[in-house]
Amino acid sequence: MVGLSVGEKHFIQGGIAQDLRSDGRKRLTYRPIYVETGVIPQAHGSARVRLGATDVIASVKAELGKPSALQPDKGKIAIYVDCSPTAAPMFEGRGGEELSTELSVALQRCLLGGKSGAGAGIDPTSLVVVEGKVCWDLYIDGLVISSDGNLLDALAAAIKAALSNTGIPKVDVAVETRSDEQPEVNISDEEFLQFDTSGIPVIVTLTKVGRHYIVDATSEEESQMSSAVSISVNRKGHICGLTKRGGVGLDPSIILDMISVAKHVSEQLINKLDSEIAAAEASEEES
Amino acid sequence: MRGLQLPLSQTQRIRLQRALEKLQSLSCKANSDASVTVADTIPVNYEAALLKGHGTTDLNGDLVATVCGVVERINKLVYVRALRARYKPEVGDIVVGRVVEVSQKRWRLEINFSLDAILMLSSMNMPDGIQRRRTALDELNMRGIFEENDVVCAEVRNFQHDGSLQLQARSQKYGKLEKGQLLIVDPYLVKKSKQHFHHLEQFGIDLVLGRNGFIWVGEHVEARDSMVVDQANSSEQSMVPEEKNKTHTPLEMRQNICRIANAVRVLSTLGFSIDADLILETVELSSTVKIDIHDMLGSEFHVLVAEREAERRSLVGKRKR
Repeated sequence: MVGLSVGEKHFIQGGIAQDLRSDGRKRLTYRPIYVETGVIPQAHGSARVRLGATDVIASVKAELGKPSALQPDKGKIAIYVDCSPTAAPMFEGRGGEELSTELSVALQRCLLGGKSGAGAGIDPTSLVVVEGKVCWDLYIDGLVISSDGNLLDALAAAIKAALSNTGIPKVDVAVETRSDEQPEVNISDEEFLQFDTSGIPVIVTLTKVGRHYIVDATSEEESQMSSAVSISVNRKGHICGLTKRGGVGLDPSIILDMISVAKHVSEQLINKLDSEIAAAEASEEES
Repeated sequence: MRGLQLPLSQTQRIRLQRALEKLQSLSCKANSDASVTVADTIPVNYEAALLKGHGTTDLNGDLVATVCGVVERINKLVYVRALRARYKPEVGDIVVGRVVEVSQKRWRLEINFSLDAILMLSSMNMPDGIQRRRTALDELNMRGIFEENDVVCAEVRNFQHDGSLQLQARSQKYGKLEKGQLLIVDPYLVKKSKQHFHHLEQFGIDLVLGRNGFIWVGEHVEARDSMVVDQANSSEQSMVPEEKNKTHTPLEMRQNICRIANAVRVLSTLGFSIDADLILETVELSSTVKIDIHDMLGSEFHVLVAEREAERRSLVGKRKR
């Protein structure tokens, strides 16, 4: 990340204080979101989301596997993020690994719920084929191509778009099998089941600079942050996950205030994202 | 043209395409065989002795381009000038750079070139304005003039033997740039003109168009009076950091800065040459259409700017005839 001079830092902080950021946005305005679906044909679902200069791709691949013994009625979902070295100079070589793990963990926490599988944004019970024997394993991969701040929001939006683009093949199970045998499964090439993505939450990251919070910070604004709180909110307005970054301590009342601001912002964001995903799917069908 | 990453609706896409086609047809009158892509054959007169320059290669007896760009011919030299290349400096260019390192008697600046540029301490005016030999004390106080990550405006003085640049900042108008924002565009969009410093009076804003693609938009700062005594300066400077914390740029000026910065961003996305008149016209267009500052980066305004530019160029073309 290129450094900023004292004068520039002062300008950015002044802008945030006066509610007019460097590109004319208000504090709670997102950059224009551009969604493309179906960018990776070999995957079952994929999407590319551009948020200003931030560019991320998410892909979903489904494979048949065996459910774990503790949760025989649920499929398995794994989320992993990779920061490409082309995204920023500091990601060269193994520099991006720390950030990748941080993003993966934050996304898992927001979208997958706890260890027992309870409270997941993505419903794993819809992934089971034969209870206890066969289930779908979803591998969700995120790739950061270009980083200009607010990676978490972009990745969550990309995952949501990729899942709405995902078609899980229909499986025919052979009926006569004994209980201890692996059932024969026939994976159809033609029919697909669409995923229900209305329950998937989005992530809103609030970055605190000075005394104010901003939404969707660019990397210049992120360099000025004292702390950032990422809150994942679903359509009903429920909080699905919370992550705090940055070493500066926050008063609990500020965190509660941030949560209410995030809920307010998330309504517009979810509507905007849904319309963009619908538009992207429509244009993909045309081409 | 780079694929515009904008969410364009169907009608906007059609309008934009129409405007761009119009622009292309207007510009095609000039040597249309000049632009080449990779593996295009360059039309040459084979009888003349040729010097094959950058971006060309000899393939089966034909001269073939290896980069996408424009063919330039200077006497016997034929080369292809790539468009999206790094900045190619010329002596006398005004550039805006960022200080990367403070070393012995010089500052190193990053200017979007393959090497860092050097600004010698002796090429810089002293704060007290007196022309004198730089002492060891001056060398130790270099950080007081420019620190790391400062944005500096200077002029290209000459090339050094290893290919790097030497800059100078001898005049009052060069120096540190504060209270504003730096924008980065492609270097080929800023053409050489008579004036690169623009003081936009109606906004009270300084606009510096660096030929290396770094454009500075900021509050207007009066050229520092060289006869100010050193002591007054130093006492002022110690007060300034605290004052800065209280006095931010006034809101109206900030709005103007953001509007101009967004105009530059729109022009650079569309690939139009950036000069002060065009920027002012774009800002006027945005205020006549009463568009919000942030919406200037939206698809509708991009299409409007492209259409207006196509109209303007066709009018200019008609006037010439």
